[in-house]
This record gives sequence, structure tokens and C-alpha cells, in this order.
Amino acid sequence: MSGSATIKPHAVKVRSTLLGLAVSDLVKASAVAIIALVIVSPLFLLLVASLKPDRFQILADMGSFRAFWVSDPSLQNYRDVATLDGSLPMGRYLINSMIILVITVCGGILINSMAAFVLAWGRIPGRALVLTLLIGLYIVPQESIVLPLLSLVTKVGLTDSFTAQILPWLASPLYIFLLYQFFIQIPQEIYDAAVIDGASPLRIYWSVFLPMSLPALATVAILLGIETWNQYLWPLMVTQTNWSRPISVGIASYFGHDSVYWNSAMAASVLMMAPVLLFYLAFQRWFVSSFISSAVKG
Amino acid sequence: MSSQMTSALPIARSASEGRRKKRNNRLQEVAMLLPACLLIALFLLVPFISSFQIALTNQRLIPRPVPTRFVGLGNFAQVLSDPEFWTALLNVVRFTLMILPIQCGMALALALLLNQKLPFRNFFRGVFFLPAITSMAVVCVIWATLFQYPAGPLNQILSFVTFGFAGPIDWLGDTRFAMLSIVLLSAWQAYGFQMIVYLAGLQNIPESLYEAARLDGANSWQRFWHITMPSLRQTHIFVLIITTIQAFKLFVQVNILTQGGPRGSTNTVVQYMFSAGFVDQRLGLASAVSIILFLIVLVISLVQRFVMRDRP
Repeated sequence: MSGSATIKPHAVKVRSTLLGLAVSDLVKASAVAIIALVIVSPLFLLLVASLKPDRFQILADMGSFRAFWVSDPSLQNYRDVATLDGSLPMGRYLINSMIILVITVCGGILINSMAAFVLAWGRIPGRALVLTLLIGLYIVPQESIVLPLLSLVTKVGLTDSFTAQILPWLASPLYIFLLYQFFIQIPQEIYDAAVIDGASPLRIYWSVFLPMSLPALATVAILLGIETWNQYLWPLMVTQTNWSRPISVGIASYFGHDSVYWNSAMAASVLMMAPVLLFYLAFQRWFVSSFISSAVKG
Repeated sequence: MSSQMTSALPIARSASEGRRKKRNNRLQEVAMLLPACLLIALFLLVPFISSFQIALTNQRLIPRPVPTRFVGLGNFAQVLSDPEFWTALLNVVRFTLMILPIQCGMALALALLLNQKLPFRNFFRGVFFLPAITSMAVVCVIWATLFQYPAGPLNQILSFVTFGFAGPIDWLGDTRFAMLSIVLLSAWQAYGFQMIVYLAGLQNIPESLYEAARLDGANSWQRFWHITMPSLRQTHIFVLIITTIQAFKLFVQVNILTQGGPRGSTNTVVQYMFSAGFVDQRLGLASAVSIILFLIVLVISLVQRFVMRDRP
């Protein structure tokens, strides 16, 4: 603020008019739109390339604007990859991912919210200790426990199973803590009223607290869902055959050969992205606020 | 408090019945808490504790007929004297130093852009967030084609911008550029998260501060530098710490695209642990790496708590 110490009473007004003349809202919006186009263009490129059946054509087109255009769109790639058997059955992987996702999210919400409810409103002793332990365990990264966990899972013969991909990630200190923070803000009067009506803890949890907690439950569902869908390190180690392999590991197996089947990889990628995108379009605001709450509280 | 209320209810009910009900309620609570506690104990606490025990032995992933031996701190000594491990650690630091300015700069710039009065603001916010919901495996497929050598899109743009002066780069195959390539695709995938964190931070800055500054005749650059940046201090620290922790866990994109190569230039701590424990089956050695990783993450988290508690 050097040199301009004089206070101009109409500074605000003058400035906004000047700015209004210099860049109108529409120009600003088009500038942002161009930036958005550039940043999102790789996704568009993926969709376009997935409609080209010739894998050599995809690479030949990549270096020019033909990458953004497909003259004779074909669903051949999708027909080729969306199979249930074969060497890389992406259809099967996609179904596996969905099975794992649905069970993990439903089970995870139930188990974490029950625990969070008892930690926030229960009467049993030792709750504070359990909470402290959970917060401490939250720091332990998944990466540093997967190998001992793999050794454990191998010992009990659960490798290459859905159980091994679901059970370890159902309960999570982060989600218990997120839900705990939500439950603890619910007014005491509501809990007391339910107790006076003679409701048991399970009943209070199920009929009073859960219906009031849809925003928090949606947050956990979205975060846990994204996390489950994107799991890579663990299924890479614990799955051995197509029986239980999820699509993230399936797509990765296109790499590591001399020549990548780009057409198939593109179609498989769109298949992996589509469910997330549909959910995102339907619940966009929830997605963004979920990520914010995981950031602020996590 | 309310348990006293329950027992003080004016309904005619014998004391023993009340006691039984109370006990039932307690049992219900235990039953509700138990599944989560058991699962966390079995799948988080037990593996975590056993990693310390395994790290002191020469245990293999699939046990061999030879019995497992106690080797003391031998695994740690071996890891810490392995130049490959130090390369991996250094790579992670390099990754962090490269991605921080790119990703946070991009996130902050877009957040500032979206924080203004702008037609279709929510629509744009939704579009800018799209890469953040894209799975890393998909991101790898997309960027592997962008990185194509010699005629991929990035090389074409590079040649166009420099009038053909800069030759095509073998992005993922050249030791000088491989880590930068990993940085670029990681920043593209993750900036959206930082962007909304910054947006939330920006929306917490009181408008009155800006009005006062305008009355003082501060231009927009001065307002940014003297109001926006200091007000975002907590957000900066948070974003910095989260990005650093994420960087130390870097694995998926490296494992898919380069397997740590070429010549170790994109090897990371987790990739090193994965090769030692899963590929080479040396569970003891890999557990030592996982403990080192945990200690690093722990230290960063403690620094975060310390720094963020510093000012309310």
C-alpha cells in the first residue's frame, strides 16, 4: 500500500465500473471455459478414442486434432472387453468391483455408524479410551499394514476371495470419527426424549439418529465408495485369478507388454469411470462437500 | 444423566425389572460397538503390531521349510544401507518438491477464479472437479497415451510451442523426465481436492477485510498478497502436509506406468516395499520398510498438529 495513503470515498464504485468495462462477466466466463476445456480435454480424448476400434489408428491420431474426432464411432471395443471370461474379462472385473463396492459401503456405513453412536451417546465405560485408540490408529497408513495382513490372509487361506477384499476395510477409524463428530452435535433433548419413551439404544440409533444423519451417512458412503472403487495395492497382492480381481487391477494389466492394446484399455477405462461419473452427476454437491468434510476433519 | 431419568420414571415398575432393562441396554451397546472394534483389532491393530515383530525376523511371505530366524535389527540395517532405498526416498522428496508448487499453484489459481462472481460458477466447479473423481488406473491409461513417444500429443504441443526446437521427449522412458511425468499426471488427478479446500478457505475470509483495503486504496495484487495469502495460512499448511503425506505413499501410478524405472528414477518407498515383500517375498525386510514409512508419516502428522495448534 505504498504511496496511496489518501482515502478516496468513492474508490469502490470507481473500481467496479472500471472493472466492469474492462472485463465483462461473459468474457470472464469464456476464459474460464477455455481453461476448463484444456484441463478436461484428456477425459474427452479418452471417450473419443474408446470409440475407435483400430488400436493403431488411435496412436496415429493421437498427435493431431483427429484425436478429438471420430468419423465412424463403433462400440466394438466395448463388445470386446465387456466379457465374463477370456484372458482379461473386463465385464467380470467390473461386476467384481461392484459387488465389493456395494457390500463394503452398506456394511461399512452400518458398522461404523453403530460404533460411532455408542461412542457418542452410549453409557458403557471405556468409551473415551476406545475413541482415543481409534484416533491414534487413524495415523497408521494402509500401506504399512498390507504385507503383514497379506501374511495373515494367506495363513487362513483367504487369498483370491471377496471376503479378503471386503472384511478388512469395513470398519475404519476415520469414518467412525467423522460420524462420531456428527452424532455428538445432535441435541441432548432428542436423546433424552427417546429414552423417556422407553426406547433401547438400538432403537434410538435406528429410528431416531440414523434418519437425522443422512448428510453424514452420504459423506461416508461417497468417501468409502471412492476409496473402495480405487483400491489397487491390496487387490493387486491378494487376488490371483479372474475370479475376484477388481477392474482397477484389470486395467493395470494392459500395461507391461511391448504393445498395449490401447483400444481395449480405453474402453475398459470408460467402463470403470462411468459408474462414478453417473453418481457424480446425480450427487455433485454431496461429492464436493464430502471431500471438504474429510479434509477439515481428517 | 438420562439413565437416572429412566429409573426415576413415575411408571409403576419394579426395581429389578428396571435393572434388567438397564443391563439389556448396556449389552445392546456392547453389541453395537463390538463389530467395529473386532474388525479394527483384527485387520489394523494385529497386522500393525505384528509388522514390528516380523521386521525383526527373516520371515518369508510363503514360509520355506527352513525355520524363521530372529535377526534383530538386521533388516533395518540392510534397508538403510541399500542405495536403492535411499534413491526411492530421495525420489519421493523430489516428487514432493515438484508437485507442491504445480498442484497447489493450480489449485489456488482455480479457486481464486471460481471464488469470483462468475456466471455458471457451480457448473465450472463441477467440471474442474472431474479429474479428482477419475480413478488412478484410468488416469494412467489417459496419460500414457498423452506421453506417447515420439508423436504423442504432449510432444506435438512441445514441438509446436518451441517451433520444433525441443525434440520429442521419451516422457516415461527417460530418467530425466520420468518423475516429472509422474508429477504431471498426479497433479492433474489431485488438484481438484486442493481446489475445493482452498475454495472453502477463501469463503471464510470476511468480505469486510477486502472492503477496508479497497478504501485504503489497495490494488488487487496488494489485496491478494496482504489479505488473501495471510488469511489462507492454515489452509496452506493443511494442503502442504496432506500433499506431503500422499507423496510418501506414492505407488499406484508408478507401479502401473514405470514399475519404478527407468533405472530406479521413479522408484518410491511403497514400490520398494512392494518389490521386497511381494515380488521377492522377503516379508521381514519389507516390514522394516513399512515401519520406516509409518514413522515418516507419524512425524509429518505430528508436525502438522504442532504447526496448526500454533495459532487458532
